[in-house]
Amino acid sequence: MIVKLLERSGDLEVRADVCVIGSGAGGAVAAAELAAGGRSVVLLEQGHHWTKQDFTQREDQMLPRLFEEAGMRQTVDGAYTVLQGRNVGGSTVHNLCYAFRAPDPILRVWREEHGLPDLTPEALAPSYERVEKTLKVKQILEAEVNGLNRMIRTGAEKLGYSGFVTKHNREGCIGAGYCILGCSYDAKQSMLVTYVPRADAAGAQIFANARAERIEAEGGRVRRVLGRVVDHDGSARGTIEVKAPVVVLSAGAVASPDLLLRSGLANSSGQVGRNLHLHPSVMLAGYLDEPIHAYRGIPQSYYIDEFIDLEKDPHRGYVLMPITGFPILTSANIPGFGRDHFRRMRDFSKMVGLLALLHDRSRGQVVSGDSPAKPKITYRMEEEDRRQLSASLVHIAKVLFAGGASRVVAPYWKDPLELRPGDDLSVLERRGVREGEIALASTHPQSTCKMGGDPATSVVNGFGETHDVRGLFVADMSVFPTSLGAPPQITTAALADRTAHHILSRG
Amino acid sequence: MHPQLPLPRTTRRGFLQLAAASASFGALAGLRALPAVAAEPAALGTFFDARQTGILAQIAERMIDTGDPAMPRLRDTGAIAAIDRTCRALDPALTGLLPVALLLFEWGPIVLDWRIRRFTQLSDAEKDAYLAGWMNSRFEVRRMAFFALRNLSFLGYYSQDATWPGIGYAGPLLAAPGAFS
Repeated sequence: MIVKLLERSGDLEVRADVCVIGSGAGGAVAAAELAAGGRSVVLLEQGHHWTKQDFTQREDQMLPRLFEEAGMRQTVDGAYTVLQGRNVGGSTVHNLCYAFRAPDPILRVWREEHGLPDLTPEALAPSYERVEKTLKVKQILEAEVNGLNRMIRTGAEKLGYSGFVTKHNREGCIGAGYCILGCSYDAKQSMLVTYVPRADAAGAQIFANARAERIEAEGGRVRRVLGRVVDHDGSARGTIEVKAPVVVLSAGAVASPDLLLRSGLANSSGQVGRNLHLHPSVMLAGYLDEPIHAYRGIPQSYYIDEFIDLEKDPHRGYVLMPITGFPILTSANIPGFGRDHFRRMRDFSKMVGLLALLHDRSRGQVVSGDSPAKPKITYRMEEEDRRQLSASLVHIAKVLFAGGASRVVAPYWKDPLELRPGDDLSVLERRGVREGEIALASTHPQSTCKMGGDPATSVVNGFGETHDVRGLFVADMSVFPTSLGAPPQITTAALADRTAHHILSRG
Repeated sequence: MHPQLPLPRTTRRGFLQLAAASASFGALAGLRALPAVAAEPAALGTFFDARQTGILAQIAERMIDTGDPAMPRLRDTGAIAAIDRTCRALDPALTGLLPVALLLFEWGPIVLDWRIRRFTQLSDAEKDAYLAGWMNSRFEVRRMAFFALRNLSFLGYYSQDATWPGIGYAGPLLAAPGAFS
C-alpha cells in the first residue's frame, strides 16, 4: 500500500532494514529488489502519488503535479531550464521512454579513467536484462513512428545522416502523445506502474509526501533519516524519522547532493554537488505548410547519431532528437510577447521541433539553497561544448528543411532568426549558442555524487556506497562518473539494480 | 508589440533606486524564497490580492495580445484565475516574489524611467515598449522577472480551451479532466 501522508495525521516513526529516498528510476528499482530479497524497506517520496486517473492531459494541471517547480526549475542565471520529476515514479512518469544501455566506450572510460574496473558490459548485463524485462523494453514498430518522427527521418535520410528507430518502454500504447504529462492509459512502463507496485507487493512501506531533510550517521555508519510530511505546496505538516542501518539515496542529481550537503555527510572529497553534467539541449522550430499535429503519437522514436562517435572520441559529440510540445510549453519557448509572439504561435499545428542534446564535458555545481525546494544550480558551458552546440544548429536546420519545413526559426530571445530554404545557414553557427540568448534545457542532470575508485576524487564506490559512510548508498544519475552520452533511464535503473543486489549479497 | 517605439532606458542610478526599494528583489532571479509575509496568500483564498490581480491582468493583456479578433480576449477567459490557481499550488519558496515583481512592474515607470505614470496608466503602445525594455534589459534580474510574468501569462491563456482552435490544437483526448472512473 502506498501511504499518502497528507491523508493521515501525526508524525511518522518507523524502523527498517533499508530506507530508500526517492522513487524514480533509481529508488524504485532499489526498493523493489531489496524488498523482494527479504529486506524490510521504507521508501520515502517527497512528491504526491498521482495515478492515471489524475493525468488529465492538461498542462496547467499536470506541470505543477509532476515537475519540480512546476517545470520552471532553472539554473541560478536562468539560462537553463532543468526538468525533473516530483511524484511517485519520479521523472519516469513524464519522460519520453527512449531506452538505451550505456554505450560501451563510456563504460570503458569509467573503467579506465575512474577506477571502476568491474563496470563491464558483461558485469552489467544481468541488471540490464532484469530492468528491460520489467520495463518491457522493445523496438518501436514502424507503424508507431508518428508524423513528426517520419518527417525528421526523411530529412536525415536525404542528407545521408546516420539515425535509427529506437527501443522504448511502452506496452499497448495508443499513441495519444501525452507522455510528458503522464500516461493516462498506463501504457508507459514507468516506475509508477512497474517497480513501485513490485516494491509494494514485496512488502515495502511506501510513503508519498515524505521529504527527507537530513541523514544522520554515527561512528562512520548511517543511522537514520529525518524529514517532514509536505503538502502539495511544500508546506510542512508532521515529522518523519526512519531508523535504518542502510540508506539508499535516490533523489536525483540535484536533490541527492543537496541532501548530503545539508547533512554534512560523504563529502571528504569535496566532490558532492560538483561535476554536474546537464546534457544541455537547444532546439530549433520548423514550420510546415500544412498542419502536422506533431504532438500526436509517440513523441520520440527516431534518433540521429551522425554527430557522435564515442569509439573515436568518448568525450564529445551530440545527438539530434525530435521534440514537440503542447501549447503552454511551446509558448514558453517562443521568443517575444504580444503580436510578435502570436505570429509564431498561430502556426502551432504546423510546428515541429528538433533538438541537439550534447554529451557535455562542462561541469556545473549544485549547492544548497535557502529551502530544500530550491537548490542552487550553476552551469556554464566550456568553449568546446559551446562550439559543438553552435555547430549543431546548422545540422538541425538542414534536417528540418530536408524534411519539408518551409521555414525554420532559431528562438533567440532577442531578434529571433527566421530562415527559408536556400538561406545561408552558417549564420546560425556564427550567432551560436550562448547562455541567456536562446532557450537551453536539461532533462538529464547527472554526475553530482560521482562514482570512482579513489575516495579523494569521488563520492561513491563502484557499488554506489559512499566512501565515507558505511551503509549510505547513492543510486541515481548522480553517480555517473561522466556524462553518459545517451538517454539515461535504463542505465540509472540498471546501476540501482546492481547496488541493490550488492546490498543483498552483504547479508 | 510596437517595436517602432523607443525602448525605455534603464539607468544604473534608476536600477540602484529599485534595488534600494526592494533589497530582496535580486532573489527573483531564481524565484527564491522571500520573507513569509510577502508570500502570505491574500484574502478569499487567492494568491494575488485585488490590486495585484489588476496589475497582473494588465500585464497579461499585453503579453498575450494576439491582434486576432478570432482569438478570445484575456478578460473573457479564466486565464487570470488559472494563473492564481497555479501560484497557490506551488511552494511559496518559488512564488513568493511574484507579488513584489508585480508592484515593481507597476511602479517601475516612475521609479526606473522617471515617467509620471504607473504601468497601468500607460497606453497599450507605451506598455508594450515598457515590457520590451524589461525583456531586453541588461540587468538579468529584470529579464528574469519579465520572463516569469510572461510565462505565467502564457500558462494562464493557453490553458483555456477557447484559445486552442485559433492555434490548431485539437486538445486532450480525454473527454474531460479526470474522465476515468
